[in-house]
Amino acid sequence: MPPDASRDILYETWQSPPGFLGWFTHVNQRMIGKRFIITAFAFFLMAGVLGILMRVQLSFPQNDFLGPDLYNQIFTVHGTAMMFLFAIPVMEGFAIYLVPLMIGTRDMAFPRLNAFGYYVYLIGGVTFFASLLFGVAPDTGWFNYVPLAGKEYSPGLGVGIWTTMITFIEVSALTAAVELIVTILKLRAPGMALNRMPLFVWAALIMAFMIVFAMPSVIVSSSLLILDRVLDTHFFVASAGGEPLLWQHLFWFFGHPEVYIIFLPALGMISTIIPTFTQRPVFGYTALVLSLVATGFISFGLWVHHMFTTGLPHLGMSFFMAASTLIAIPSGVQIFCWIASLWGAKVSLKTPMLFIVGFFAVFVMGGLTGVMVASIPFDLQVHDTYFVVAHFHYVIIGGSVFPLIAGLYYWYPKVMGRMMSERLGWVSFWLIFLGVNITFFPMHELGLDGMPRRVYTYLSEMGWGPMNMVATAGAALLSAGFFVTLANALWSMKHGAPAGDNPWGAATLEWATTSPPQPYNHRNIPVVHSRTPVWDWRGRDERPVVGGLREDRRELLVTSVLDAEPMVVQVAPKPTPWPFVSAVVASLGFIGILIHPIFFVIGFFLVFFTYVGWFWPRRPWRED
Amino acid sequence: MRDVPVIDASGLTRFAHRRHPLWWGIIGLVTIEMSVTANLIASYFYLAARAPAWPPQGVAPPDLLWASINVVLLLCSAFTMWWAGWGINRHSQSILTLGTGLSVLLASVVLVLRWINFTDLNVQWNDGAYGAIVWAITGFHFIHVASAIVGTAVVTLLSWRGYFTKQRQLGVVVDTLYWYFVAGIWIPFYLVLYWTPRLV
Repeated sequence: MPPDASRDILYETWQSPPGFLGWFTHVNQRMIGKRFIITAFAFFLMAGVLGILMRVQLSFPQNDFLGPDLYNQIFTVHGTAMMFLFAIPVMEGFAIYLVPLMIGTRDMAFPRLNAFGYYVYLIGGVTFFASLLFGVAPDTGWFNYVPLAGKEYSPGLGVGIWTTMITFIEVSALTAAVELIVTILKLRAPGMALNRMPLFVWAALIMAFMIVFAMPSVIVSSSLLILDRVLDTHFFVASAGGEPLLWQHLFWFFGHPEVYIIFLPALGMISTIIPTFTQRPVFGYTALVLSLVATGFISFGLWVHHMFTTGLPHLGMSFFMAASTLIAIPSGVQIFCWIASLWGAKVSLKTPMLFIVGFFAVFVMGGLTGVMVASIPFDLQVHDTYFVVAHFHYVIIGGSVFPLIAGLYYWYPKVMGRMMSERLGWVSFWLIFLGVNITFFPMHELGLDGMPRRVYTYLSEMGWGPMNMVATAGAALLSAGFFVTLANALWSMKHGAPAGDNPWGAATLEWATTSPPQPYNHRNIPVVHSRTPVWDWRGRDERPVVGGLREDRRELLVTSVLDAEPMVVQVAPKPTPWPFVSAVVASLGFIGILIHPIFFVIGFFLVFFTYVGWFWPRRPWRED
Repeated sequence: MRDVPVIDASGLTRFAHRRHPLWWGIIGLVTIEMSVTANLIASYFYLAARAPAWPPQGVAPPDLLWASINVVLLLCSAFTMWWAGWGINRHSQSILTLGTGLSVLLASVVLVLRWINFTDLNVQWNDGAYGAIVWAITGFHFIHVASAIVGTAVVTLLSWRGYFTKQRQLGVVVDTLYWYFVAGIWIPFYLVLYWTPRLV
């Protein structure tokens, strides 16, 4: 068969069906990954607007722009959406899009499950935001503490929406996590042993493992709260022998690793981008991997530091104080590895690299205040003040959002086939960098002055007015910065310079195929001999690949966990609407619980029937 | 650049089961469920440690008889599942159908016994924290047995229609794996709910 004809068959096999109805049947990992990223950025935008509304309300004392009820709903939705609807899904979206390209395979291990997870996320997120439009949004903060969130103090729909939608959306995070773990462990290109895996893939793997062990806690805690609210159980009702603190333990056993769940992929992005812009391998690959693993482990031993003011035994407090300080070690190791990677190199300061430099400044700042609040005597003073608000915005924006925007500028050419504007990128960076510091730096001082979190206004005698005004002005700059990047992304779709296969001269496999990649990702599954395969092939006229996979159906090569030796071939499913149908009936069940518990049973059987349709073998049964 | 095939995948099997990614996926699902289980058991002991008396004054621990019978029935159902897989490895579709069918039957007996004996728990779910966690754990397991039953019923149906062969048995292998989890997880729950209040 001539090569062109066989490529056409491969294209036909992997192509996603066109048209509106076809959209609901897509299962290819790049389609789903792109949807995750776009949806997450849309939620980021909406949650950001809520942040601006809060800043407007707080800009001067006794402002009556937002009432207390609406303010409570807005800060709850802002926090919840940023964590659950933006930060986790956007990182998963990048991982879903990039990991199969980076490990040289054609799709993820369970394409339909991927699509299912996306629809669950979309429906859950839209329902959550819609509650704000109807004025019934949750208003008890993103960590939804009982007893405030119990039936007695929050009788309305709001907390119910929080508990059901969070449980539901976490299902999507868990499906993506299993998906990523199995894909990374079993579908790597031959020769890509674990010690040759790109660092972003390592980070995605550890993030996925953390999701598997952390998310069940929030699912259990919110399920118990649903039971308390719907079936009159008394898990958290102190007067009936329940324990409000159980909520805090379960929530933070998830909530602390959560911070690292959104941080690790960002670290992976940094370790991927630095070698590209210095054009030499990263310093300390093994140390970087071990630091990622160590961060993953230690992050499960920190949850109590969110509860220092709840009156715990002294021994426990000392342990968690030590553990909280300990996490600075793997973070420090990574920072030093990156400094060594940059040392003496000819660094090309393109926009992605600019955001990485911004990360260093902003994140180190947040890390320092982190070491401060890890110490109990200090924490007791600033707990529940704006100092903490300043700290976690520095950590999350510095640690996660800066690398994420760097990643956006870095991989946009691969996804869209066109470069983003460097000039707009430069403008956006400076607006964001100044905006973050002007918005959040004054909050340290406000916190030390005693301004509590979550208040909708304050008296002018407190003297907090001027600094709040500065913070609000900073927020305007910050949002302008994000809008420039948004405009840049939209403009460059049509007008950006064509990217070519490998515009940055990077070393990892996603750059070894066209931009944007064809439906089958790689024309042939590559065979890898080092950590920098694309650099190995420079100046050569041939490269090793895998032959013998069929082109007329979706075949994936399954390899061994450690050394990626070929083992078997997996036949992946074709496009199908079942994941969509399944997600719709599952959301019916979940949302129905708000009305009557019987919807749980209805949802159970409806989901079962859709699963049967999903897995039912199609005739003719395969015989080879 | 020219692509030079150095590895030939045409000879590799397309019918993997224990080496298939789906097998790993089910391990992932079981790991998630184990985390949920660990959270529930930790919550049980946390509530117990903070309560003045566990179970509360005047509440007897759950009755042992039917719960212990359920342990035996679930272990038997795990054995019949294993036997079903043994059968299909010897090309016997009838043993497969019979084995999975028996497992469904045994687990259904478990559900019926549980349903008519919920009073054995000696507490209502809205009687306070103890009742709440006992019912939550029992209910969690009840739902899992129910989902294992409906899923395995479909496997039995497909087996009866002759879909599975020695080669094409991925569905059986992953269903069995999940079944072992659902049957086996009752043992720690049983020990925690039925024995710790008696021994501590």
